[in-house]
Amino acid sequence: MWLRGVLDLCLLALLERGEAYGYELARRLEELGFGSVPGGSLYPALLRREKLGHLRAEWRAGEGGPGRKYYVLTDAGRDALAAESAAWRAFAAGVAAALDGVRA
Amino acid sequence: MRARTWLDELAHELTARGVPHAQVAGIVVETEAHLHEAAGDPLDTFGAPATYAGAVADALAADRVATAPGRVRVRARGLGKRHGRRAVLDGFDLDLRAGEAVLLMGANGRGKSTLLRILAGLDAPDRGKVEIDGSVGYAPQHGGLIDHLLPAEHFVLFGRPRGLDRRAAVQQGRRLAEQLGWDALAAPVAGALSGGTRQKLNVVLAALGEPDVLLLDEPYQGLDLESVQRFWDLLWDWRDAGRCALVASHAHDAIERADAVVEL
Repeated sequence: MWLRGVLDLCLLALLERGEAYGYELARRLEELGFGSVPGGSLYPALLRREKLGHLRAEWRAGEGGPGRKYYVLTDAGRDALAAESAAWRAFAAGVAAALDGVRA
Repeated sequence: MRARTWLDELAHELTARGVPHAQVAGIVVETEAHLHEAAGDPLDTFGAPATYAGAVADALAADRVATAPGRVRVRARGLGKRHGRRAVLDGFDLDLRAGEAVLLMGANGRGKSTLLRILAGLDAPDRGKVEIDGSVGYAPQHGGLIDHLLPAEHFVLFGRPRGLDRRAAVQQGRRLAEQLGWDALAAPVAGALSGGTRQKLNVVLAALGEPDVLLLDEPYQGLDLESVQRFWDLLWDWRDAGRCALVASHAHDAIERADAVVEL
């Protein structure tokens, strides 16, 4: 189960390394060890960030298949990524401190 | 399910949710591209077309922010309430403004229902005060209905003190119910309704006569996904019209649909 805000944040982070289309992002998240990300969560998250102006979409012709929608991080998206990753690190550090000494 | 059928249904569901045609086309193509590469069953990857369409419509509504909130309709200051020796509310403050749909969150027993009852005037706080500017509609979590009366008879009964005559009450009740995807005039007496439908009736009764402040206690329980989406559409129209609502729920999807979240 994906926590909504965390998926958003990971998507912004992946897109900071360069533009990508939906399925590509799903595959990269899987490679990072998150397991398979349902498209039902992935695309609404991308759309929301596009709406907020954090992402810009560019359509390209696909190879044989239908067209592909590439997502590009905007300046506003970079700002959001900086702010949200700082908040996440502080949060994660708190959780780690709380879990310190707990047997895994 | 075959991908083509699934995509057709998706397009239909998106259109039904008011997503503009140009965007529907883009979403369908993108989804199709994903299915093409992932080579999976669309139901596994995206879920039911209606569910996915609902999530997409929500995402597109993310910027549907209320017009600047208006005057304060509900002001609570320093509310305290004890149940026996346990403090349920302790120094609670709240401003609810015209044009806001606010979510009230908190685990069971944290006082959500108590707070709504106090704001509705059903209970008195032990400490603090509540000021309400305008009329109030309230939907309780349990009860609130008269089991041997038809929904239309509820409309008449609840509409009268809010200045609606018989005809206007039935008309308005039916229209509100329709917004929730429910044909109230074809329904049996309240006692024979399912839990979700009883909640819809409670929401309609609270909204009857269009009070300035709508207080809803767990209106979600027993509602299917489509009804939840319709409920929020109704609520957004409500606050866009300059009224306000406070909704107690622990449904997490409500967090991003509400204009603000208050935690207890």
